[in-house]
Parts: sequence; C-alpha cells; structure tokens
Amino acid sequence: MKLAIDETRCKGCNLCTKVCPYKIFKEGKKANRKGIIIPELDRPERCTNCRLMHLYGRTLCGVCQLTCPDQAIHWVEELPYEPKKVAIEY
Amino acid sequence: MSYEEWYRQDRLPHIYCAGCGNGTIINCTLAALEQMAWKKEDTVFVSGIGCSSRAPGYIVTDSLHTTHGRAIAFATGVKLANPDLHVVVITGDGDLAAIGGNHFIHACRRNIDLTVVCMNNQIYGMTGGQGSPTTPLGCLSTTTPYGCVETPFDLCDLAIAAGANYVSRWTSYHVKELEKAVLAGLQTPGFSFIEALVQCPTAFGRRNKFKQVADQVEYLRSHSMLKAKRDRLLEQGEHIPGDMFVVGELERRNRPALGVKR
Ligand SMILES: Cc1ncc(C[n+]2csc(CCOP(=O)(O)OP(=O)(O)O)c2C)c(N)n1
Ligand code: SF4
Ligand code: SF4
Ligand code: SF4
Ligand SMILES: [Mg+2]
Repeated sequence: MKLAIDETRCKGCNLCTKVCPYKIFKEGKKANRKGIIIPELDRPERCTNCRLMHLYGRTLCGVCQLTCPDQAIHWVEELPYEPKKVAIEY
Repeated sequence: MSYEEWYRQDRLPHIYCAGCGNGTIINCTLAALEQMAWKKEDTVFVSGIGCSSRAPGYIVTDSLHTTHGRAIAFATGVKLANPDLHVVVITGDGDLAAIGGNHFIHACRRNIDLTVVCMNNQIYGMTGGQGSPTTPLGCLSTTTPYGCVETPFDLCDLAIAAGANYVSRWTSYHVKELEKAVLAGLQTPGFSFIEALVQCPTAFGRRNKFKQVADQVEYLRSHSMLKAKRDRLLEQGEHIPGDMFVVGELERRNRPALGVKR
C-alpha cells in the first residue's frame, strides 16, 4: 500500500504535520492549482500501514486519517512491480 | 462497512473551513459506527442547524436536518415511533445548549436511547461568531467584544445532573479516545452524551489569538486534564487551574431508559 493525500480534498490545514509519530507529513511550500499548499510526504513508505495493512487486515495507527478534517488521507494500492524505495528505521 | 463507506463520497469535500475540527469528529463517529455492525437502513442521523449540524448530510444513512435546537426533539420522535432504529444526534453547542437546552435536559431525564455527539466549538460558528452558552470567560466573540463575562455551561455536568446513562468528554486532539467514547455511547442503552471540544479557526480561533489551526488544537491538548488526575488532585486537596477542563469517561450508569430496542 502507498500513503497518499487526495489533492482534490486537502485544504492545507497542516494538522497532519503535528500528529504522525514518524513525522511523515511536512509543511508544503508550493501552492497547487487551487492555491492550496498541500503537505509534502517525507519517505511515506515508513508508515506502518504501507507494509502491514494487508497482513493485519485493518488500519494500524491511522491517527493522521482520523485527524484529517477533510478526509484527504488514504492508502492506495500499488501497481504491480511499481518501483519503490525501502526505508529502514533503527 | 468500513468507515469510508459510511461517507457519501460524492458529497465530499465538505463545506467546512480549512482546519475546522468538525470533520475530525465525523471521522471518529463513523469509525466507531463501523465497529457496531449496524446496517445503514437501520441507522438514522438527526441534527439541528449550525456548521456541526450539517454533518449528517455527508453520511449515507437516512437523516433529518431539522430546525435550530430541535434535533433531540425530532430524534425522540423517531426513536419512540420505532425503537428498532439506531438514532444518533449530531449537534453544536448553540444548537444543544442555547435554543435546544430544554430538549437536552429532558431527554437526559427521560433517558431516551439516543447517542448525542456535540461538537462544542464554544461559539456560534455558522452565523459568524456570536457567543454561545459555552463561550469561556474572557473570550472574544462578536457579541462579547470586551470578553465574555458570563459563566459558561459545563455540558457534561448538565447531562450527568439531568440523568444521562453515559457521559464523556474529549477533544479533536484525542481522536482514538473519542472514537472509543462514541463506541461506548452507541453500545450503552439509554441517553449517551459525548462532548467533543473542537477548533473553529474562522469564528473562534481568529478572534482569540490562535493564529494557526494547530495552535488551538494544542490549546485543547494542553488544557485538558484526565478525570483520574482531577480526582487525585481533588483528593489531595490541590488546586486545579480554572482554565483546565476534564476529559474522560465522566458517567456510566444504568438508570431506567426509554425507547430501548425491543
Ligand atoms: C430559530 C432559529 N434561530 C436562530 C437561527 C440562526 N442560527 C443558525 S445557526 C445558529 C448557531 C449555531 O451554533 P452552533 O449550534 O454552536 O453550531 P456551529 O455553527 O457552531 O457548529 C444560529 C443562531 C436559526 N437558524 N433558527
Ligand atoms: S490534515 Fe488533511 S486537510 Fe489538513 S493538511 Fe493534512 S491532508 Fe490536508
Ligand atoms: S497512520 Fe500513523 S504512522 Fe502512518 S502516516 Fe498516519 S500517523 Fe503516520
Ligand atoms: S465557521 Fe467554524 S465551525 Fe463553521 S465551518 Fe468554519 S471553522 Fe468550522
Ligand atoms: Mg458552535
């Protein structure tokens, strides 16, 4: 799975940047077409859900998704053989 | 049904301002609902008027968007006409405690089997920021330009005194706890009241020195005190600062209830 922000919904409140224990969400810099500054994702593959959601059959942690007032945070399926970076945290 | 399926996805994004806490509370409510295994055909959402009261419009179940203050009155009718339905009320502080204050205390007294989630932003958000019965002392609003001088209601104390079976308070910061509280409310027969303090950056935060949305959420976090800690401090006879509010499960009991599923 892949963590993603839905650009059509996000209103740029930056609450997600405060709640993630891994600090995956960073304040963005550039406004999008609607003039909203969407947060950037810092190595989103570190989110526990990206690896474990299917294994456990439920959402783990999920604090960012519950907190996001605009229902903009979700996990999307990866394409088969999609190249991805692997981040290991010690 | 997963909680995303309880949303009317075609109606999103909702009309709430950027950073409005109401969206967070809908998330938590639906995440709790997901665990109840209720069918959407058997569930009804009822609300009054206000920003908070627009929430049922984004939920797939049947809903009633009623007149200002009358959410609980309509919900009482729905529940007593057909006790097999699960009725959830979403309301605001103005809707519940100002114009709807009497319906609130009498529904607690009758202990009707409803779950009421109050999004308390301590202001009339929709109409541009007039003071409500929960606006804290000293806070600015369009009707209290020199600071509020009236002592606010403690909605949870009101519900407990009036007889509700389940009462708890959390904030938009405590998302997991709030989800559990709503779940407990949905499971409890009788009147369940869950107060969720939320940020309203547009009508409240802007006038009360919360420049960023996160500043008000941080205020809610740092000024909430767990019930266990409050009780311990009281026992030791220590002073509790006046600007702190209690969060946690404040009441759970088994008074005779009305309209419980047959
Ligand atoms: C009978 C009646 N009186 C007054 C109003 C105007 N009015 C609309 S919303 C509102 C206050 C809503 O405050 P609250 O319930 O706290 O909701 P919020 O917008 O803060 O979520 C008022 C006074 C109305 N619509 N109907
Ligand atoms: S919390 Fe949601 S709406 Fe706010 S910035 Fe993050 S993704 Fe966007
Ligand atoms: S689910 Fe938890 S770990 Fe994953 S991005 Fe959200 S807050 Fe961070
Ligand atoms: S006015 Fe306040 S309560 Fe209403 S949508 Fe805006 S932030 Fe939310
Ligand atoms: Mg309000």
